[in-house]
Amino acid sequence: MAEDLVLDTAIRDWVLIPLSVVMVLIGVLRYFVSMLMRSTQTPDAKIVKEGQVILRARNLRTGANFVPSKAFRARKIYFCNEENGLLFVPKGQVQNPQAQMFSDPNMAMDMMKKNLSMIIPQTLTFAWVNFFFSGFVAAKIPFPLTQRFRSMLQNGIDLSTVDVSYVSSRSWYFLNLFGLRGLFSLILGEENAVDDTQRMMQMGGFGFDPSKGLSAEKDNIDITQHDWALPNLEQRAEAVLRNVINQ
Amino acid sequence: MAVHSDSASSGKKSSNGLNELLTFNAENMQSNMKIIYYSRTFLSIIGGVVAGILGFTGLKGFVFYLLLMALTSLGLVAKAGFSTHTYFDSWNRVLLDGFLGGLMSFVLFWTFAYDIVHIF
Repeated sequence: MAEDLVLDTAIRDWVLIPLSVVMVLIGVLRYFVSMLMRSTQTPDAKIVKEGQVILRARNLRTGANFVPSKAFRARKIYFCNEENGLLFVPKGQVQNPQAQMFSDPNMAMDMMKKNLSMIIPQTLTFAWVNFFFSGFVAAKIPFPLTQRFRSMLQNGIDLSTVDVSYVSSRSWYFLNLFGLRGLFSLILGEENAVDDTQRMMQMGGFGFDPSKGLSAEKDNIDITQHDWALPNLEQRAEAVLRNVINQ
Repeated sequence: MAVHSDSASSGKKSSNGLNELLTFNAENMQSNMKIIYYSRTFLSIIGGVVAGILGFTGLKGFVFYLLLMALTSLGLVAKAGFSTHTYFDSWNRVLLDGFLGGLMSFVLFWTFAYDIVHIF
């Protein structure tokens, strides 16, 4: 039975639009707050050095095929040598940077700030929606869903005969949460459209880069085979030059 | 080798045309990816509003979305001068990249426009 419910215009004026506007504004606000709160840390010299070593090793790996094989092998030994190679970290020292990071008050504060700035607006908005906008039909989604979605989408509405397409405002909130990601990426410029779900995924893998990264990079370089990518270089250069001259 | 560099909707050529080896400039590739993402997102938003205003429901709306994505892919390929391999490293990127991300925005604006125009 698909009777068309007639919904009050006031719902549109006072629920749908304000909720969307509020979510957009909160996203923008969060972006600016995160920019302001980006405290200037003086980075630790040792950590920066290790980061740069990793970068260098990575560049070596990507460009391995463009240097002659002897040069590649020389570099490989420089990095992976057991005694004094750059990437070789004796077992005892591996754990230290990680412990140091967690006990370092500055970094712990930073992590907490990031977490909070992400979780608080979401929780607050959700509580606000639940408090003010529950118990009535808020919107109709234009496509039909199965009955199993009823409990998820219609949690404020206690009639079981209403079509599942008529949803409560909580589901409008979730729809906005996911759908406004694209909008944020357009209006906030490229990398700053980090939405909640992405941040949550980033938080999961927070392993401290240098300590694990060094041995990982070392293994990667050990594995890399050298495949000389520029054979007949002289002939090709000659062909290109001829083309340019003849144009 | 062609001297004037064509650009794919202000993206950059990310590979040189050497016969034996294709190398990709990572930065340019990323910038091209970003452009695909933006065009898809923008078009999904607009498409969502259009679908809502026109009153598509159910399957018709999703078919419209698929049509929109196909149109986007076509546009991108045409802008890249039909030689996608110089700008992207695989077909899948041009065709399928921002698909699911655009879907959520499409559904949101579709619902929004549909409700505003038809229900209220």
